[in-house]
Amino acid sequence: MSSTFHGIETAKRSLFTQQAALNTTGHNIANANTAGFSRQVVNMTASKPMEAYGMNRSVTPGQLGTGVEFTSITRVRESFLDDQFRNENKSLGNWSIQADTLDKLQTIMNEPSDSGLRTVLDNFWKSWSDLSKDPENVTGRKIVRENAIALTDAFNQTSKQLSDLKNDLTNNIQVKVNEINSTITTIAGLNAEIQRIEGLGDDANDLRDQRDLLTDNLSKIANIQVTNTPQGYNISIGGINLVTGGTFTATSEAALESGFASGDLNSGEVYGMIVSRDKYVADYQNQLDTLANTIANGEVTITIPAGSVIPEGATLNVVTGTGSNQTVTSTTFSGTSRTLSADLTVQVNGLNGLHQLGYLFGSPPATGGDFFTAKPGSSGITATSIQLNPDIAADASKIATSLRTDGTGVNETTVKGNNTLAMLMAQLKDTSFTFTAQGSSASSGSGVTSGTIDEYFRAIIGQLGVQGQEASRQLNNQKALVDQVDGRRQSVSGVSLDEEMSNMIKFQHAYGAAARFMTSYDQILDKLINGTGMVGR
Amino acid sequence: MTLRVTQSMMHSQLLRNVNNNLSRMERNQNVLSTGRKILKPSDDPVGITYALHYRSELSINEQYQKNIDTAKAYVDHTDTILGQVNDLIQRANELTTQGVNGTNPQSALDAIAQELGQIYEQAVTLGNDRLNGKYIFNGQKTDIQPYTTAGAPTESSDDQKIVYQFSAGVTVPINVTGNEVFGIGSGPNQEPDNLFSVLKDLQNDFLNGDQTAARTDMDRLTSRFNKFLDVRAEVGARANRIDLLDSRLQDLNQNLTALDSKVEDADIAETITNLQADQNVYQASLSVGAKIIQPSLLDYLR
Repeated sequence: MSSTFHGIETAKRSLFTQQAALNTTGHNIANANTAGFSRQVVNMTASKPMEAYGMNRSVTPGQLGTGVEFTSITRVRESFLDDQFRNENKSLGNWSIQADTLDKLQTIMNEPSDSGLRTVLDNFWKSWSDLSKDPENVTGRKIVRENAIALTDAFNQTSKQLSDLKNDLTNNIQVKVNEINSTITTIAGLNAEIQRIEGLGDDANDLRDQRDLLTDNLSKIANIQVTNTPQGYNISIGGINLVTGGTFTATSEAALESGFASGDLNSGEVYGMIVSRDKYVADYQNQLDTLANTIANGEVTITIPAGSVIPEGATLNVVTGTGSNQTVTSTTFSGTSRTLSADLTVQVNGLNGLHQLGYLFGSPPATGGDFFTAKPGSSGITATSIQLNPDIAADASKIATSLRTDGTGVNETTVKGNNTLAMLMAQLKDTSFTFTAQGSSASSGSGVTSGTIDEYFRAIIGQLGVQGQEASRQLNNQKALVDQVDGRRQSVSGVSLDEEMSNMIKFQHAYGAAARFMTSYDQILDKLINGTGMVGR
Repeated sequence: MTLRVTQSMMHSQLLRNVNNNLSRMERNQNVLSTGRKILKPSDDPVGITYALHYRSELSINEQYQKNIDTAKAYVDHTDTILGQVNDLIQRANELTTQGVNGTNPQSALDAIAQELGQIYEQAVTLGNDRLNGKYIFNGQKTDIQPYTTAGAPTESSDDQKIVYQFSAGVTVPINVTGNEVFGIGSGPNQEPDNLFSVLKDLQNDFLNGDQTAARTDMDRLTSRFNKFLDVRAEVGARANRIDLLDSRLQDLNQNLTALDSKVEDADIAETITNLQADQNVYQASLSVGAKIIQPSLLDYLR
């Protein structure tokens, strides 16, 4: 036997439930463009039906429905897609940084152009060739000097830009560390709050959305692992713990660096930055240093033509034979043996070694000094420290062009018209050097150990091109993947206005119908209360 | 399960497509405005190494061509001077032939001797010829005058060649030495047919009226003349070789320019066509976007 007012109760439940559904629809529509928002649904269920009751056995058949109620409001989301998204997002972070760095490196190397290192190198060799045509004149020397300064400037500047890039990357790592720390602070806070709210039996949908969004952001910065526990998200980067429930462990640059070394950190923006800095930038710096040092000091085999005169007391590594029969003997030249009766093949150390064999115009003829030197305070010649010998910079006549003297003892004079040294210098453009790095930076990324200066430089640019191409290809792939996964997520969790509007109509009509049902009950009761027992009145 | 499509999905898809179209257009526009298809190494890592190679080659060829121009001027000048030396030797030969025919009175021989003296002095002057302030016949000692008027018969020039580079590994000597032209005047390899000493001796022979000695000296003159002609021929051959190298460098320049252009230059027609196509797609994507994004059920609920 049901209550007289049963229908009112049913109608009221219906009104409340439809209203809740309408409100949720409104909430969904309002957040259609909110980042990280997942649509929410009101889970309705028929409320508990009326049981037979009372002291007498009820004769009412079956169970009488009591209307509707909502058990929960939940968000529509697939955690598998979240995992997938975060997995792809970390690679996107990694490659976007690498592609960006390689792009910057390409800008720094500035090739192909008419103002890059290659052009400066070309001009340098050309000025020696020019000088070889007019070795008596000081003008040609000045051109060589200016071109040598342009060359060292180009090296210095490129190297400076590389160190700037390196510093930028280090600074950016710190910025990302701060970002990680502020994000995990918030996530830990959200963990605690969600746990508190859900302890009361509610679903903290919007807070969960926020937490997921922050986790998404974090997944771009580093390769995080997310474990969902009753206490909330536990987040770590490999072995580095960031968040455990409501508590967080702030990380540091040092921690991430050691994580990088141990393999814990293996993707994401921070990883990309460390790789960019320690692999790319450091490698190109090394190669540039090697190039600069090799030009100055790299071992090179040259042939000094007959008739040339070796400086008194000079010890040279004379090469005899070819191929596997090649032997190198250290020979000291003195007295009459100084004047070469036949071509002599020797190994010298770079432009410096060659320049030291030449004579200056003064009397008695002094030999040339180092052509390139390291700036004061630096231990060896690198792209940063290379400079034109300050003596030459101050006085262009300190550039030697002649490999021949006339007379002996105090009467020895330089043969000014001899252009052998200038010519040998110009020919170094096409001569194979043995590339030697300065100091500890022994690794040569391009794998070139011998070849001409031009070849080495081309190898650097070629390597940069391949790496740049690979990185931008990976970046595009990764973008597509992330977009695809995000699309699937949107497909599940995104707010469709059409859908919400149709829901709205649905709920609105249900609400209206419930209200009409209420009205109908009202009329029934009116009839019952005000119209009953008035027979004959 | 069919994919649910939401408004924000369509927004982001549209944005993505419009962005892709824009970046393609930007690239095409860059290519068109520079005329180059390699704007940075990653555009074509293999191409860039070739491009750099060609550019370097072109650049150094420019220098080689400058070297050739200088060498040509030098060799041409040498040839002119040798032409004058040639005239001198021939005149000396004529005079000598005239002087040794046995019919000349001493006064005529004196006149011949006097002219031979002039020829000797002119020969010394030519031996000291300078181009751009450099003595052309003194080997590498271009700053030192090789001959003196009084001592020329016993003086030698420097023996070494001035060598220019005309391409990788190709060097050519551009000078001839006084020793080659006039004969070695001193030292263990002294040549009896040194032009200066022959001229001096002939002059003395005629002054002394010694026609027998003059006949012997005339043979020395002929011997020198033959050697001289060899040197002249060598200079001519050298000029030819330099001309050949010149045209080879020009060919090389053309080839390299063509190769470089193949690697680096954009196909303008193709790029413009692509740009046009991209523009069409871009406009289509914009107008489709404007149409699709706008309506929702909202527009029909009034």
